[in-house]
Amino acid sequence: MRRSGVLLVIAMLIFSLSGVSAGEPTLEKIKRTGAFTVGTRTGSPPFGYINKKNEWVGFSIDLAQLVHKNIEKKLGQPVKFELKESTPATRIPLLYSMAVDLIAGTMTDTRARRENVDFSLTFFVTGAQFMVKKRSPIRGVKDLVGKRIGTQQGSTNERALRERYPQAHLIVFQDQPSAFTALTQGKLDAYTNDGIQLWGLKYKAPNPNDWEIVGEWYTYEPYGMAMRKNDSDFRQVVNVALMEAIEGGEYFKLYDKWFGPKSETPYPLSPEARTFLMMEVVPR
Amino acid sequence: MLLSNFLGIPYEFQWSVLWEAPYHTWLMDGLLMTLKISAISWLFGILLGILFGALRTVPVRPLRTLAAAYVEFFRNVPLLVWLFFWYFGAPEVLPEPIRQWLIHHGMEFWSGVAGISVYHGARMSEVIRAGIQSIPKTQLEAGLSSGLSVSQTYRLIIIPIALRLIIPPVTNESLNLLKNSSLAMTIGVAELTFATRQIETYTAKAFEAFTAGTLIYLALCLSIAYVMNRVERKFAIPGLIARAERAEH
Repeated sequence: MRRSGVLLVIAMLIFSLSGVSAGEPTLEKIKRTGAFTVGTRTGSPPFGYINKKNEWVGFSIDLAQLVHKNIEKKLGQPVKFELKESTPATRIPLLYSMAVDLIAGTMTDTRARRENVDFSLTFFVTGAQFMVKKRSPIRGVKDLVGKRIGTQQGSTNERALRERYPQAHLIVFQDQPSAFTALTQGKLDAYTNDGIQLWGLKYKAPNPNDWEIVGEWYTYEPYGMAMRKNDSDFRQVVNVALMEAIEGGEYFKLYDKWFGPKSETPYPLSPEARTFLMMEVVPR
Repeated sequence: MLLSNFLGIPYEFQWSVLWEAPYHTWLMDGLLMTLKISAISWLFGILLGILFGALRTVPVRPLRTLAAAYVEFFRNVPLLVWLFFWYFGAPEVLPEPIRQWLIHHGMEFWSGVAGISVYHGARMSEVIRAGIQSIPKTQLEAGLSSGLSVSQTYRLIIIPIALRLIIPPVTNESLNLLKNSSLAMTIGVAELTFATRQIETYTAKAFEAFTAGTLIYLALCLSIAYVMNRVERKFAIPGLIARAERAEH
């Protein structure tokens, strides 16, 4: 959710000093090195996380593997698939230092971020909601007057609350675990984040039934995969992989694996989201 | 100023974010919060420092042990950990009405003050102990033999001299305290570093926001150093604390 300018600046400096060429197209770099490196999350179930068997898995990682297959097809040669940890603060610097070729995690596509990176098609849509203790009077954005609402600094939902609901008393944390601890201790009346992340948090909580996710989406959070700017050949390979997955039904199988009724984070795909995904697919 | 391709990636300088609404008010609010939390923490830190620094030198063993325990316990754990302790841990054992009252009266701020002042108090007390111990033992003996009690000798003679001696290291410690107050943003205190990050996340103007933050911290620290330098000169005891230019005859 966050971007970090400091690291970006540091990456730019190191990068300009080391004389690494930013110009090499991603596909050529993958062909030369024989490896496709993806930056993803380690603690954002079910998009990218380490599971109980100590495996690095997730919905975004499975989608990135489809991109990987499409790269191999395009280059006509086997390519290694590698994962690296990326966080909101490090993901853009990792791209520009050539450490990773694609970010596939929980990154919201925004107009401001498009100034720095290019995004793939949207592969998941969610929106901000509130997590509250069971039987809390807070039911949505109308009930925030004077309430202590926890957010993460730099998140899209923090910004939306500050600009549109100034009656709320925002307590801004640097990460989700701090905010969630404050919520469990009653120091916050509600914690806000993207709905799907709140569901993930609820299912991982010691007593999931103590928590409720409430409110309509008050922001729109389309997740996309990020890549270096102005590399349309690579972006085409990424987008075609996503389109083929949506068209051929593989996307929906993966969706069911990670968000279906039997998964750890059940999150039904709304008919609107399904239509939206289908309409992203342009004709062959 | 437009730099369409700065260090290999597109970047456009826009210094105006620093004085445009609402960002300039964020910087100002952040600056005021930094000053407020630093000033209050400094006051408590100095008081703790004087108390425990003095206790470490008194001729009463249990008091010395108590003071040593305080210093070693609090200075040897990272400040960040203390801040989490004072915010997430300590308030949980308070009686519920007090806890609720605190939650609605700036618990983040007061936890920050507690963390910073207790941590820096431990460090200050070492500085003050060093000051006291640099005063010859004969001063204490002279005070006692003139009929003063131990606490009177400390209050009227030893501590006033020690405080003058330790101005340079206390200045050092105070500057550290001011800069360390930025850690309070991890428990939700919207101080200056928080404000610069906030501007950066809203505008993506990292260079501008962090340059402003850097210059403000620098200006604050230089002014404190300047004031402390003046204080040192004003309160110097001629003949006692030898200054280079007065060392002759």
